[in-house]
Amino acid sequence: MSAPLLKARGISVAYGTRRRPITALHPTDLDLHAGESVAVVGRSGAGKSTLAEIVLGLRTASTGHVSVAGERFCGAGRAPHRRCRHLVQGVPQDAGASLPPGVPVRVSIERAIDRLGVGRHDARAAAGAALDAATAADRILAAAKIAHLDPALLDRTPRQLSGGQAQRAAIARAVAVGPRLIVADEPTSALDARTAAGLADALLALPGRTGGALLLVTHDDALAARCDRILTVRDGVVTPAPGASRPGTAERAA
Amino acid sequence: MRTSDRRALISRILAGLGLLGIVGALPWLSQRDPALSVLRARYSELEPTPEAIAAVRAELGLEGGPVAISARWWEGVLHGDLGTSWVSGAPVGPGVWHAVGVSATLTVLALLVSFLVAAALVAPVLRAIARDRPVRGSGPVGVAMTALPEFLLASGLLVIVAVHLQWLPPYGWTGFGSAVLPALALGIPGGGLFGRLLGDALAGSSRETWVQVWCLSGAPRRVVLAAVLRRALASVVDQVGLIFIGVLGGAVAVEQVFAIPGLGRYLLGAANSQDLPALQAGVLAMAAAAVVIGVAASATRLWLLGGPLPAGAVSPPPERPHGDRLAQWTFGVGCALLALLLVLGLPRDPFEIVHERLAAPSWELPFGADASGRDLLARVAHGALGTLVPALGIVVAAVAVGLVLAFVPNAVRGPIEVANATPPIIAGVIIAALFGPTVGGAAVAVLWVSWPPLASHAVALVEEAKAMPHVKWLPLAGVRPFEVMVRHVVPVVAPALARHGMLRLPGVALALASLGFLGLGAQPPAPEWGRLLAEGIDYVERAPWTTAAPAVALILISVIAVAAASLQGSNFRWPLAPRRAATSAAPVAPREPEPADAP
Repeated sequence: MSAPLLKARGISVAYGTRRRPITALHPTDLDLHAGESVAVVGRSGAGKSTLAEIVLGLRTASTGHVSVAGERFCGAGRAPHRRCRHLVQGVPQDAGASLPPGVPVRVSIERAIDRLGVGRHDARAAAGAALDAATAADRILAAAKIAHLDPALLDRTPRQLSGGQAQRAAIARAVAVGPRLIVADEPTSALDARTAAGLADALLALPGRTGGALLLVTHDDALAARCDRILTVRDGVVTPAPGASRPGTAERAA
Repeated sequence: MRTSDRRALISRILAGLGLLGIVGALPWLSQRDPALSVLRARYSELEPTPEAIAAVRAELGLEGGPVAISARWWEGVLHGDLGTSWVSGAPVGPGVWHAVGVSATLTVLALLVSFLVAAALVAPVLRAIARDRPVRGSGPVGVAMTALPEFLLASGLLVIVAVHLQWLPPYGWTGFGSAVLPALALGIPGGGLFGRLLGDALAGSSRETWVQVWCLSGAPRRVVLAAVLRRALASVVDQVGLIFIGVLGGAVAVEQVFAIPGLGRYLLGAANSQDLPALQAGVLAMAAAAVVIGVAASATRLWLLGGPLPAGAVSPPPERPHGDRLAQWTFGVGCALLALLLVLGLPRDPFEIVHERLAAPSWELPFGADASGRDLLARVAHGALGTLVPALGIVVAAVAVGLVLAFVPNAVRGPIEVANATPPIIAGVIIAALFGPTVGGAAVAVLWVSWPPLASHAVALVEEAKAMPHVKWLPLAGVRPFEVMVRHVVPVVAPALARHGMLRLPGVALALASLGFLGLGAQPPAPEWGRLLAEGIDYVERAPWTTAAPAVALILISVIAVAAASLQGSNFRWPLAPRRAATSAAPVAPREPEPADAP
């Protein structure tokens, strides 16, 4: 088996006092391979979102480190460097509120591409054939296609999009910067069943289309079952769910 | 202990130690060299040679840096030696003790008055709860009670009761009769505020679910009432502590108006003569009183509830449907009257001495003339500028300070508490003693007490803004933390904070006026409202209009201040996400088409 795309070692989150620490996430190892989709399930407050936020680099871990595609991505007390920021991107629960307000989606995506300097790191980004486009405009169009988003909607602001359209726009924004890993934090929980199903198709197709991996935090058992593997989080401890379809990667709970 | 808590504790300790150090080092902080003036005053035959000055410096305990001076002073204090007056050369101790005794008596009487006032304000609310009638917060009477600052109330009582009706002696400290008016002037505003807070807290508590549960399970009305009272008292006791610390500052003005030889007047005298050892002793006594009040408040709360309350533990008072509209109207009409005053008076000349001295109001001189024969309408209108323009500057500075400090919330907790517990008049006295009485010094003193509420608000707003989903997800698009703050958090927070600051403008103007009234701010002949009132009050018997014109202007700004405060209460939440709508999918960000942040 090839080297894992995402390698997290001993990541944990604790806060509170030294004498009475509150542990949101116990030290966890996590490996994700290219082309793989992994679901994270668990009850509210179990630590799913904490795990997702650490992998996304939105929250710094208390211990451990995460590397992506062989690059040190983030670690204890260290936020991701801008140089490798594009490697991990996310799809939020409520994209309508999470995309910059009052700005057309296309503009937000352009700015993200501009800031992350994807063009300069194209060799490493290697985001699959669909994204080998030269210009930012082409890149955005390709990303919209992958996200099943009507390109006409790119010129609307997040407020002018419906819930499902906004989620697709968020996927397009994430894909456009050429990530290797996409972390989706309950992306379908605010949608009705039909829209959710359509979005799930777009999400689950991502590893195949971009050659990366997908970490999907969800409450939806049916959606989780469509992923390659399922991890269960309970009281801050991550374990592979029984009957995991592709065993062999190590998950450790200390 | 959590890191943030530990940081806050360290910040508090540092702020407290810093304050103590500054009190000790006051003589060093004073920019002028007191040795020369003391030399001239005491040994006029001596030449001011460097040796002679050095000898005086040694005698005054001025050699060494600020730390040495502060340490030496504190050592003396711990031995019971408060130092020697620079003016009289006599020990400071006995004078301070006498002043403290007088002030303590006055304060006890004032507390009595304020408790009576508060009880009178709270009684209707309690009765409504007892009879299970719909409960509202404190009414307009409570608002009116808190509208007037002490110096204005004291002047009014002096003019009407002592001079006009001649029921009580106008000044001095000769017996019970002479203590009545000062106690009223000092007790009514504090008691009004206390009663208002308690009334609102009672109304809020009485709507909590547990009250219904107790009533349904047949608890006697008396028991329920006692429990509601206890709950409400516990929630306001900290603020009551701050109110009474504020009374200490008000005492300076009241003692000055009624010529009472208390601690406030002692401080003012020390400031005016720049007698720093006396000032240090007075400030120490004030600080000790403030600490006693603070400890008493904490002890009371501990006894009532057993520990500090988490934020948001107190239910807000029920909303009054017409209260806000009344406040809006009052605010609007007040501002319109102020504008009218400016339009009529600004074209006139406030310095020209052309009219008859103390001329009565006429068609030519709508407000009459002052003791020098200057047009009072012109002086009051220009005084509006002299008061409001510095106040505006203070508000802008306070908003800026609050905004900057909001990004280090734990580090500023200690300074916020210390500054919050400093009455503006005391800050003004200290600054005037150090640098002489100027508008700038008064402005700095008022700024010192104006920034904490804005900083607290800014901390809350920044936290709220950072939690907005689109701000939280910005790092994914490669936006750096500093850029997140400057481009996305500050633009959302600043307008709300500026609005809050503008609503505080009238209150800031009043604080400035109170310093001007005491002679700690603008100097003659500059027109400034507090100053104008102080000038007019000397002629109140012969020409009451000299007092009336600035007093009316000050009452106007007081009314605007109170109306603004109630508007602020009702609007406190809408600057950012309304909590009720937080679950909807609508973004919480600004609704207007946003000025696109430049790429």
